[in-house]
Amino acid sequence: MSNRENILGHYGPLSYDEIGFLLNRMSAYVDRQGMNITIKKKVYSAMVESLENVYKHQDIINGDTEYQPRFTLFLDNKCFSMFVSNSVLNKKAVSLKERLDKVNQLDLKGLKELYKQTILSGNVSPKGGAGLGIINIAKVSENKIGYNFEPISSEHAYFTINIEISLK
Amino acid sequence: MGPLNIEPTEFTPKINFDPESSTFEISGFSRPENVIGFYRPILKWLEEYNEKVLSQNITFEKSLLTINLKMTYFNSASSKFLLDILLEFMKFHSKGNKVEINWYYEDGDDEILESGEEMADMLGYAFNLIPY
Repeated sequence: MSNRENILGHYGPLSYDEIGFLLNRMSAYVDRQGMNITIKKKVYSAMVESLENVYKHQDIINGDTEYQPRFTLFLDNKCFSMFVSNSVLNKKAVSLKERLDKVNQLDLKGLKELYKQTILSGNVSPKGGAGLGIINIAKVSENKIGYNFEPISSEHAYFTINIEISLK
Repeated sequence: MGPLNIEPTEFTPKINFDPESSTFEISGFSRPENVIGFYRPILKWLEEYNEKVLSQNITFEKSLLTINLKMTYFNSASSKFLLDILLEFMKFHSKGNKVEINWYYEDGDDEILESGEEMADMLGYAFNLIPY
C-alpha cells in the first residue's frame, strides 16, 4: 500500500512505563488527526492488551538481540494495523494458537458471550491476566487476528500478532 | 467506619467510598501494573463495610447505596475487578439495601458506553447510563 504510514515503533525489552509512553504517543497522533474517540479507544485497548501480554509473558532469551519484543503501528486509508512480536516458549504456543483460532471463529455476538463467560467464571492469574486480553482484542478489532510463530529453537518461537482496526 | 480514599495515579483510578453519605465513586483510568494488589484491598474494605455498617443496620429502612463509575479507560484485568466490586454491591442489594449504579461516559465514547451495557447485562441489573 503506497500510503501506508509507520506511526510508531519499539524494539527491545518492554517496561510498564514504556507501554505508557507508546500509548501517549499514539493518543497524541490520533488527536492531531482529529479522529473520533471510539477509534482512539479501540486502538488504545488493542495496544494495552497486546503490549501487556508481551510485558507479562515475554520469555526473553538471554543474550539474544534478534528476537526481542517488537511493536509497530501503521496507518493507511482503511485501517490501523499493529504488529506485536515476542519470543515465547514452544510449550505455550499450542494453547495460544487454540485461543486465537477460537476467537477468530466467532462473530461480535459470540465474542461478547465468550467475554461474559470468561469474566464470570475465570480467576485472575498471579500475573494479573484474566484470560480476557485476546477476546478483548478481537472485540475491538472486529477483524480476524493474524498471527505467526517463527521457529527459533527447540524451546522458543518468535510469536507475532497482527491486529487491524478499521477506520469506519 | 472511615471513608476509603485513594488518589489517582497515571495507571490507577480515584477511589472515594464514603460510608456516611453511602456514595461510592470510582473514576479515571485503570491499568495497574499490579492489578491484584490494587483492587484486593478495595474488595476487602467492602467486606468490612458490610460487616461493620450494613449488617448493623437493623431498621426497616435500608440504605440507598449510590455507585458512581466514571471511567475513561480500563483494561481487561481491571474489568474483572470492577465486576467483582459491583457483585459485592449486588450482595448488599439482595440483603434489602437499595443500590443505584450510575455509569458515566464521555459523549461519543462508544467503548465505555458499551462496557457499561455489558456490565449491566452480566449483573442482570439496570445501570443509569449518563453521558457527560
